[in-house]
Amino acid sequence: MKRIINSTAFVYLFFCAIAYAEVPTFTIEIRDHLFFPSQLIIPANTKVKLIVINRDATPEEFESYELNREKVIMGGAKAIIFVGPLVPGDYPFFGEFNPKTAQGIIRVEN
Amino acid sequence: MVDAVLLVLREVLEAALIMSLLLALSHKLQLRFRWSLSALFLGLMGSWILAQYTYEITDAMDGTGQELLNAVLYFSVVLSVVVLSVLILPLAFAPPLATHRRTPDSPESGSRHKLIYGLFIIIVSFSVAREGSEIWIYLSGFTNQSDMISSVYIGAAIGAGIGVSLGAITYYAFAFMHKKYFVPVFLLVITLLAGGLSMQIAKQFLQIGLLNSTAPLWDSSFLVNEHSWLGELLYALLGYDARPAPIQGVFYLLTVSPILLAWVWHTWRLRANTHE
Repeated sequence: MKRIINSTAFVYLFFCAIAYAEVPTFTIEIRDHLFFPSQLIIPANTKVKLIVINRDATPEEFESYELNREKVIMGGAKAIIFVGPLVPGDYPFFGEFNPKTAQGIIRVEN
Repeated sequence: MVDAVLLVLREVLEAALIMSLLLALSHKLQLRFRWSLSALFLGLMGSWILAQYTYEITDAMDGTGQELLNAVLYFSVVLSVVVLSVLILPLAFAPPLATHRRTPDSPESGSRHKLIYGLFIIIVSFSVAREGSEIWIYLSGFTNQSDMISSVYIGAAIGAGIGVSLGAITYYAFAFMHKKYFVPVFLLVITLLAGGLSMQIAKQFLQIGLLNSTAPLWDSSFLVNEHSWLGELLYALLGYDARPAPIQGVFYLLTVSPILLAWVWHTWRLRANTHE
């Protein structure tokens, strides 16, 4: 039983290591219901790690239909979201809790 | 206020559609509807608890807690829907529902009914918990803004009202369906719904990098844009995605196959029996 738990934990951590290993990382901050930067440029055809830090006290939901990503980020918390590989183009994202102000775009360039 | 209406509407709609479909099935199978009260109560309690522990959930498992929990909730719903579909599928091949007499005295049907009630409760309560928690989190952000809070609450109430109304329309559309068509149409819709939810599971794993995405299978945004009202409705009902990743397609097929296989098996068995 202990062996099963150990090997499951090992496999899980192994996959986490794969997931988190050596991936270009970009940071987006949320301040006053705005994204900083509101336009982010990332390389094409590459898996990218986005770190979204919510500097507001209230929660926000990072969402993008084009990127197919959706995550609630509590006040003061940060979230890790993987995107890509993506073909070149513009991929808008928004804060679902404050959609009028929290808007941004991820530009994928070669 | 419009933002609040739209957000709450989206969340409520997803849960309301599932609940309406199951209530209609419950009605057609001449089952009691009391399961829906337990399911709603459990779902609302669950959504509240999930919202209270969001910080802890988010930080769990190295920051992947939210996605993993969502995946577990979606998976439970998908599994329950698949089991339910396979259970009621024989009804599509049986004589019309009008002649299907409920036999409350037979213990076999009693335990089968208990299982169906259990599946109903899991499906509805987990869906309500998942969607509801997001609404509580959203509303919690406005507690310190006394100027906006009343318009947000009103907007939320309106959104919830619209969602429930659409659910009611769905219920009546299905409940008043002709007996001959009900089971096949219901099975079709619920299968597509389960497929859509399975794509959500894949999306959670893609988001935390446990799965890798490649180029999308297609881009149907020229047909139905995800931002349009039709796109949003199709998303709520079928999990419509204009750019599905290949792994999402795999999850979809894995979910839909058991039901398709059960259908094929029953058709084959019916043919075999009628040829004897």
